[in-house]
Amino acid sequence: MSRASPALPFAVAAALLASAPAEAVELTIWHAYRGDERAALEALLVQYDEAHPEVELRPLALAYESFVTKLEAAAPRGNGPDLFIGAHERVGQWSATGLVAPLSLDTSGLHPATVAALTYDGQLYGVPLAYKCLALYYNTDLVPTPPRTTDELVAQAVALTRGDTFGLVFEADAPYFFAPFMHGFGGGVFDAAGEPSLASAENAAALAFVADLARVKKVIPEEPTGALVTQLFNDGKAAMVVNGPWLLGELKPGLPFAVAPLPIVSATGKPAAPYLTVEGAMVSGFAAHPEEAKALALWLAGPESALKRATQGRQSVATLATYDDPAVAADPILSAFRAQLDAAVPMPNKPLMASTWEPMAKALRRVMRGDYTPQAALDEAATELAVTTRPEPPAADPTFAWIALGLGLAAALGALGRQLINPAVRADIKRWAFAYLYVGPAALAMSVLVMLPFVVGAAVSLFSHKDGQFTYVGLANYLDILLARDWPITSALSFYFTLVITVLWTLANVVLHVGIGLGLALILREPWVRLRGLWRVLLILPWAIPNYITALIWKGMFHRQFGAINAILDAVGLEPVSWFASFSTAFSANLITNTWLGFPFMMVVTLGALQAIPRELEQAAEVDGASAWQRFRHVTWPLLTPALLPAVVLGSVWTFNMFNIIFLVSGGEPDSQTEILISEAYRWAFTRQARYGYASAYAVLIFFVLLGWSRLGNRVAGRKVL
Amino acid sequence: MSQQSQGGAPSVPVLLATHLVLVVTTLAVLYPVLWVLKMALTPSQAFSMDPMPFPTEVSFQNFREVIGTTAADGSWLFGRQLLNSLFVSAVTSALGITLACTAGYAMSRWAFPGRDIGMSMFLVTQMFPGVVMAIPLYILLDEAGLLNSMLGLALVYSTTAVPFSTWNLKGYFDTIPVELEEAALMDGASRWMTFTRIILPLARPALVVTALFSFMTAWNEFILAATFMGDERAFTLPVVLQSYVGDFGTEWGRFAAGSILVSLPVMLLFFALQRFLVEGLTAGSVKG
Amino acid sequence: MATLRLDGVRKSYGDVPVLHTVSMNVADGEFLVLVGPSGCGKSTLLRCIAGLEDISAGDLHIGERRVNDLAPRDRDVAMVFQSYALYPHMTVRENMAFGLRVRGAPEEEITRLVNQAAEMLALGSYLDRLPKALSGGQRQRVAIGRAIVRRPKVFLFDEPLSNLDAALRGQMRVELKRLHRDLNATIVYVTHDQIEAMTLADRILVLNGGLVQQLGTPAELFDTPANRFVAGFIGSPAMNFLKGNAQGGQVTVEGLSFPCQTSGEVEVGLRPNDLVLSRGAGPQATVDVVEHLGWEMLVHLQLGAHKIAARAETAVMGSLKPGDKVAVAAERAHLFSAVSGLRVQ
Repeated sequence: MSRASPALPFAVAAALLASAPAEAVELTIWHAYRGDERAALEALLVQYDEAHPEVELRPLALAYESFVTKLEAAAPRGNGPDLFIGAHERVGQWSATGLVAPLSLDTSGLHPATVAALTYDGQLYGVPLAYKCLALYYNTDLVPTPPRTTDELVAQAVALTRGDTFGLVFEADAPYFFAPFMHGFGGGVFDAAGEPSLASAENAAALAFVADLARVKKVIPEEPTGALVTQLFNDGKAAMVVNGPWLLGELKPGLPFAVAPLPIVSATGKPAAPYLTVEGAMVSGFAAHPEEAKALALWLAGPESALKRATQGRQSVATLATYDDPAVAADPILSAFRAQLDAAVPMPNKPLMASTWEPMAKALRRVMRGDYTPQAALDEAATELAVTTRPEPPAADPTFAWIALGLGLAAALGALGRQLINPAVRADIKRWAFAYLYVGPAALAMSVLVMLPFVVGAAVSLFSHKDGQFTYVGLANYLDILLARDWPITSALSFYFTLVITVLWTLANVVLHVGIGLGLALILREPWVRLRGLWRVLLILPWAIPNYITALIWKGMFHRQFGAINAILDAVGLEPVSWFASFSTAFSANLITNTWLGFPFMMVVTLGALQAIPRELEQAAEVDGASAWQRFRHVTWPLLTPALLPAVVLGSVWTFNMFNIIFLVSGGEPDSQTEILISEAYRWAFTRQARYGYASAYAVLIFFVLLGWSRLGNRVAGRKVL
Repeated sequence: MSQQSQGGAPSVPVLLATHLVLVVTTLAVLYPVLWVLKMALTPSQAFSMDPMPFPTEVSFQNFREVIGTTAADGSWLFGRQLLNSLFVSAVTSALGITLACTAGYAMSRWAFPGRDIGMSMFLVTQMFPGVVMAIPLYILLDEAGLLNSMLGLALVYSTTAVPFSTWNLKGYFDTIPVELEEAALMDGASRWMTFTRIILPLARPALVVTALFSFMTAWNEFILAATFMGDERAFTLPVVLQSYVGDFGTEWGRFAAGSILVSLPVMLLFFALQRFLVEGLTAGSVKG
Repeated sequence: MATLRLDGVRKSYGDVPVLHTVSMNVADGEFLVLVGPSGCGKSTLLRCIAGLEDISAGDLHIGERRVNDLAPRDRDVAMVFQSYALYPHMTVRENMAFGLRVRGAPEEEITRLVNQAAEMLALGSYLDRLPKALSGGQRQRVAIGRAIVRRPKVFLFDEPLSNLDAALRGQMRVELKRLHRDLNATIVYVTHDQIEAMTLADRILVLNGGLVQQLGTPAELFDTPANRFVAGFIGSPAMNFLKGNAQGGQVTVEGLSFPCQTSGEVEVGLRPNDLVLSRGAGPQATVDVVEHLGWEMLVHLQLGAHKIAARAETAVMGSLKPGDKVAVAAERAHLFSAVSGLRVQ
């Protein structure tokens, strides 16, 4: 892999810059820190900047969510950072794409586990700065001494679980939180040879242990989300929680708590070992100034910086000497995490790891819901992993594609030419020449900024992607999807299943949006309704708030045990619902959220359309003796539909691709059954082996389905709607 | 159905029932919004799971922290980013409406060859899943030297807003009688003058609504903004908002406070422009 | 003011002709009315003159200038639309000033001309209102005002009175007539109402199905209609037609005889006021319906196989009831070939 070549021009530029006297070198540093950690880091960078006139530092804090995408887009094109601070788990992938440069340095002062985490294939790719892992938080009022073994843990948890208080609270259905027990029982995601081993007997034993805590002993509440964990611990209703250092920022001041390492698993005698996430300073493979970047990285890991990060940033640092400092040694929390570090398993940094989360999470939820035995659920997960990580389709000969492309272009140009030869068309074009001036700017902008990127993006569907390399595979991605080669058609992961769900989703939404919007519009147009302006303004509020915010809020409201919806159901004497445990309720939860978001648009459109219908027509019908329903059915509705149809078709197109709601509310629960096509495409691109080609094929298929959908809309309407 | 005697007020039970429907719907609409407000006003960063949508303790600390964000050099970031958001959204709005109003007018009035295909193509772009377009767009902007530029960002946003805008404006232009333009032509106005002096002033409600839509497109977007902008001082507010959602946990208090700050201008615009909202969205309605 | 000349003007949409060859001269200061049933092509002809439609063949001259390829604004014509087409967002003053303003007239000139036109049309107190605050008649006057401020070479009116009620229409007719006199303007006026045509026009052009039927003064059209269509269209109440067979220099229908130089099938046209009713001898008709109009009445009669209408003075005939028998006599008849529809002697 010739990863030096793209960087070459920059290296030359750097050399030129370096030769210029007194010209400070600009060093860009990207990180995703917030709060105290960010403040500590930025203070250190200012300090370094002042001490080193030869460099000028340009730090940039990015949102975690956009960090990786941005890095992977920007760095290869020379727009990335020289140095970035990132979690180690993508090092395997980044080393393959040349995003991180290998480093050699003296690692003696650093904890070996943190060094191991940043090493891939025997090569170190970053300077370990800090680490994060889970530990046991406990409420010191309820738990005087923390449990040392799982037997003690279970005994204490059971004893403390009573009323609305839970003994042990953690996100038991999330693989990251399950990992300590998995490791403690001797299991793991990969076996000693590095092969996936999701369905090992050890993993099953660990899962059985956790399921027993949740389902039989009920020391863990239902649907233990992160928010719930925090809230219960803050309210003193969780005796112990398993969580990481980030919890500290969310705890109420004055809460009596302490942190201890996780207990020894009594069944095996091994410690419950959480995943270790190491934050390393990595020199970009595309850095303009790799030497200066490395110098800064080393300084950041050095004792002075590490101490500041530990004391000011409250960060668990990788530098061992720091823990000898009296101030750090006296900090019980830092000490507890330092102790946990000795029994932590670096999260595997091979690319395959990213694909294990989804099947594992699904297995955990299946067991927590009681639908599967641990072994059966893990067997399914192993199968699913095998499919998502199956080898890419073989490279195909692009000759045929070139020929097809050539023929297609020739045919298109021929058709266009034939039109242009036609004198009538030519005369028409000449006659309307001015019209093209009016349409031109928009058409040009659309072609360049929408059509072109889409065509390029769509072309990716003919390729497979691995480690930044794209290989032409012909129609293999389409065939895999359309012939349901990966999953049987009845599987929730098959294209056809998802398509059916997507259509159902779209239809249900459109019916509800139009129904509610229309009903409210009919009410709001009546002159006798009091405070019409006020109602109208309040009812369009959901439209004004970004939907990713409200989606998260609704997700919280649908919580099984603590959500507002179930509280209301309970108050009116109904049974609470496990919203995300079954398809129909999870689908309904998505639907309710999206209806809340979507009806205002339809209401406003309907209000506008109703204004254009003369009331005399309804009055005439009333004089003719028509009932309210007959008037609506035979007068208002037929006049309304022509105006509503375009909005309905457009609204359905938007709903069809309404990614945010599905992703943030149900997240596909249960078992990917509520995924829609767009969220599946997203998963293929970002959580399943970065199969961009496969994801792009999904996107192209979505496009064609929608095209068909709008044609169908025209057919139903009996005229051209869109 | 709520339809009652058209002339006077309906009977008391109908009156009560319709207002009950309004009250219940409005409560359902407001409930989640109140919740955001509650989390924003509660000093904790935890997600509130309590069904009561009213804060037990009120503090403006989250707002203070969000608004008071400063850069490493101590300069006031929030103000800067608010200005960025306003600038990008305003430019998007202006650009989008400029592109869309001429295109929508031409499509409404003139049957030039290629019009129908053009119309379809515009709307078909609404069906492109954005997920495949981010990286090609990135490369495109980079090649054009428009990366890290507010103008580049606004250009991209305006093209995503153009199809709906064109379509909505075309629908509205369709309802403006052709005689008005003919009268202007007879009066001696050029084609362009007729458009700017007669049609555009008459299409004001639709222009306002369309501009509001373009504005919101830009105002709420964060994925492209985060990818295209390389400097904290160039970020827009939603990008900042997103950074409260972290790898391991979310700073809910600040996130909620930020959400409210982000939503507030749009809400104010809605209130101010709600008259136009209904008038301007009659897209494709009956000719008047 | 200027003359207007049409030479062989034709208009078709694709392969469908809407105007066959139209040729005519409109003199300077002449009031020409285009009349015909709806869909006859009269509005299209007007729009061709205005420049809102291209003509497919022929020549169009305004003054000495050939204007076929000129844009409307370069033809120096003004048009009053059926719907008035007032700019809703502009006040009356702005509406009237728009044409001057886009042509870059100086502000004081605009003010002067607008005020002058407003005075002429009694719009002075409405100048700062929006069109929506005006009544139909006022809007109509604003539309006319907008046309006259520019002092164009030719005025075009497209059914300007059809949206007004009957009383207002009569009043506006008089105003238009006066306006024409005061301005001494060349006017082309489209209407489907033959009364408007008769009362306003210096000359009338009758169109049917895109074909010119007759061009002449109102009197010519009324007295010597060129064909059966014009005869039936002009005059109110409409002419009665009776089918007959002419032989030996005369035609007899239902007992009424008229000299006729041709022979064969003819249609005999009798205007209701050319019929004389009496209680005496002669061909007898049965009264069907009587419409009282005050000093006269319109009597619908069954005459043999034909239904006819006749005018009678109330004072002369006294009261008539359905079923009464009256004698019919005719003072004058128009004869038309039953084959070609053309006037015959």
